[in-house]
Amino acid sequence: MKEHSDLSRRKFIKKTGAAGLAVSIAPISIFSHAAGKPVEEMSVLTANASFDPVRPEMGRLITQACKGIGWDVKLAAEDYNLGIGKVFKEKDFDMFIVRWTGRANRIDPETFIYMQHHKDGNYNKWGYDNPKINELAEAQQIEMDVEKRRTIVHEAQQVLFDDVARSPIVYPSMTNAYREDRLDGLVPMVGEGIGSFWSDLSVSVKSGDGYVRTGQTSPLKNLNPISATDSNEFKELRMMYDRLVQIAPDGSITPWAAKAINVVDDKTVDIVLRDGMKFHDGKPVTIEDIKFTFDYHKQWKAPFFISSLEKFESIEINGANSLRIKLSAPHAPLMVNFLASIFILPMHIWKDIPEKVADVDDVLNFANEKPVGSGPFRFDYWDRGKELKVSANTGHFNAPKCAGIIRVTYGSHDAMAAAIEAGECDRTRYILKPALVQDLDKINGVVGKGYPSHGFYDLGYNHLRGPLKDRAFREAIDLIIPRDLIRDIVMSGFAENGGSVIAPANEYWHNPAVKSNAQNVKKARDVLAAAGYSWDSDDKLLYPA
Amino acid sequence: MLDYTLRRLVYTLITMFAVASILFVLFRMLPGEPTMQVISPAMDAAVQERMKEAFGLNEPLWKQYFIYLKNLVTLEWGRSFVSAQEVTDILSYRFWNTLLLMAAGMCLTLVLGIGLGIVMAWRRNSALDIGGTVVGLVFQATPPFITGLLLLIVLSYRLGIFPTGGMYPPGQRPDGLFDLLMMPAFWERIVLPTITVGAYYISTPMLIMRDSMLEVLGSDFIELAKAKGLKPRVVMLRHAARNALLGVVTISGIMIGFAVGGQVVVESLFSWPGMGQLMVESAASHDYPVAQGTFLMLAMLVISLNFFTDILYCYLDPRIKITAAGMN
Repeated sequence: MKEHSDLSRRKFIKKTGAAGLAVSIAPISIFSHAAGKPVEEMSVLTANASFDPVRPEMGRLITQACKGIGWDVKLAAEDYNLGIGKVFKEKDFDMFIVRWTGRANRIDPETFIYMQHHKDGNYNKWGYDNPKINELAEAQQIEMDVEKRRTIVHEAQQVLFDDVARSPIVYPSMTNAYREDRLDGLVPMVGEGIGSFWSDLSVSVKSGDGYVRTGQTSPLKNLNPISATDSNEFKELRMMYDRLVQIAPDGSITPWAAKAINVVDDKTVDIVLRDGMKFHDGKPVTIEDIKFTFDYHKQWKAPFFISSLEKFESIEINGANSLRIKLSAPHAPLMVNFLASIFILPMHIWKDIPEKVADVDDVLNFANEKPVGSGPFRFDYWDRGKELKVSANTGHFNAPKCAGIIRVTYGSHDAMAAAIEAGECDRTRYILKPALVQDLDKINGVVGKGYPSHGFYDLGYNHLRGPLKDRAFREAIDLIIPRDLIRDIVMSGFAENGGSVIAPANEYWHNPAVKSNAQNVKKARDVLAAAGYSWDSDDKLLYPA
Repeated sequence: MLDYTLRRLVYTLITMFAVASILFVLFRMLPGEPTMQVISPAMDAAVQERMKEAFGLNEPLWKQYFIYLKNLVTLEWGRSFVSAQEVTDILSYRFWNTLLLMAAGMCLTLVLGIGLGIVMAWRRNSALDIGGTVVGLVFQATPPFITGLLLLIVLSYRLGIFPTGGMYPPGQRPDGLFDLLMMPAFWERIVLPTITVGAYYISTPMLIMRDSMLEVLGSDFIELAKAKGLKPRVVMLRHAARNALLGVVTISGIMIGFAVGGQVVVESLFSWPGMGQLMVESAASHDYPVAQGTFLMLAMLVISLNFFTDILYCYLDPRIKITAAGMN
């Protein structure tokens, strides 16, 4: 047995080459305590079906597939929030299935390269530590030349795939539905489908009062741009508050409230404000408002922006309509993670908050019940738990074509689908269950469709636990994931098989050389055998002897 | 009577204090941390601390408890961790929504249930009695989401008679409760959830009323009333039904209390922004101020209803004597 192991090990080293040396010897060194023993049972943690019907189904198929390599894995479908706590706070999990949604700011590779895989990345609670990735993740962060940065990001994707840092399962489409007999001019955006900001601006209504009735199943929680961290809130706030730049439908950056963003050098950026902008109360938007916005977010440590703001050395007005940001170090994600995210605040209103608000001593506890921004829509009302209504700001430099948007909260996907069918709702803001989208598409006047997204469903590994420390073991798991079945049955065809951590929909950053692994149980067993694993008479998987 | 009422009031207040304290402990025993629910896990530890500071969670637990008790007494129930809105504002809005739904549902349940119970007992073993019992039990055994979904599929999705949900048409928010009640669209929308709630609860008052009636109908005074030549309707309603009502009154108080907090499914199904939805949302997101407020309000409602039920007993059954020690 020993000879066999050594032979396998030599073969393995030869096959994987020098780059894989460190991981290839892992089975011998890290599993010496368990040598020849059965691989312990583990679990796949997912959110339960009431949160997302798709995840437990995927989990069931994957745990079933693990039997193919003689390994017992059980499914743990739990409340979403508890599951998130187990992964990110308690770090008490073996494997977990999560959906990384295609938020606009995730088009920048920072989230999927640095934040999730660098040893100090905020998301990296799974103990992944690969010196090569650490180096590449840091390099892409400070590389201000976008082409050079892309080369680094491509390399990082390949290294992550080769090391099986995780297993992207499928890239799901944004499954949306809308009434084509009511709406015209919807603009799908990568990761957001027809619920995008660009749809809000371009959509027109063929009949009725001109308002677009937009459905969503999760209620709107907060209208405070300082405390908002959730994409649900960002999607509504961006209608009322302008940003300096926007992410265009194809994922590129386009000027918005800023007429120009001039990169003076790696650590200096000049922002030139557009002329003639006004807040909804009639007061002009000035460069002082922009500086105030940055200072105010920094002063109150706005949760979403604090990490970007910490990289600011100084913020100074350097012209009648321009402002200079000096960074302490180059930071390539600045454009997407900060300038395309932060909302411009009216200084004349926020300078007195929270001081002049009764019973509020921290701006994070300020409800901002009547938002005043300079955005393309004005706030009308927010009926908690029910709906938000905003109307077109006709004086805006990019005025909407509709009369306004009414965001209605529905109790379930089924209720929202029924409302679309009945003509009570015009479109979905976010994902609708794939099966319902298929049904709705058969109805006259309704379109149900999947739109490209850079988000993905992912099987994550706890790199600090048992056999999951071993690259070969993770590769074997990746090889048994029934991606075709998941795509066709669980996702009703509204998905592509997963491979790289940057999805093909994110065309600029995606590395097309990284392909998805097809399910191949025999190959998985070969990989395990080559790494020294074996099976007992009952076909139970054993650690390398 | 006054002495008894005061004594009951004191008990009620002690119960409320105990419930408030238990709620404080229970929510803090939930696994997970509130900051994890309201803020992205990608935020670093400093940001988590920043959120704790804003919510007052950085204070020691005993201090949080005393602040909580003080706020309860002064009716300043704090602000939501999630929306930063005042808890009392959130609760009052959601409470009225649920109350409207429950009032309609309970009116249907009690009027129809009690009425049917009386007639079923009066016509014991008739087709109405047997059929009513079977139908009532079937509805009770059917989860509300099944009944609601069937109603929606048939009367809304297929036949288009009723809207799919909500309290009013999108974009037509009424100016206050009166305006809402004056909207025909509101009444169209409340029909299906009312039937769903009514169907689920109707068997309780109906069967209790039927059983009580049967017991009363076997009494001597009923025979006497019949022998006196009183009209059957008078015997049934004035003599039998009034005496049989006690059991229904007892259960109604408890039933209404549970119904207010127990309509999560109905509210979700019909997109009705009420207390049930709020309870689930706030507990799941560790929004302590709102969760505590919601549960406390519900507990106060049940305790108050029990209190009033006891007092109502005296009116309905003069045989019950009130003494300083309680009811005899």
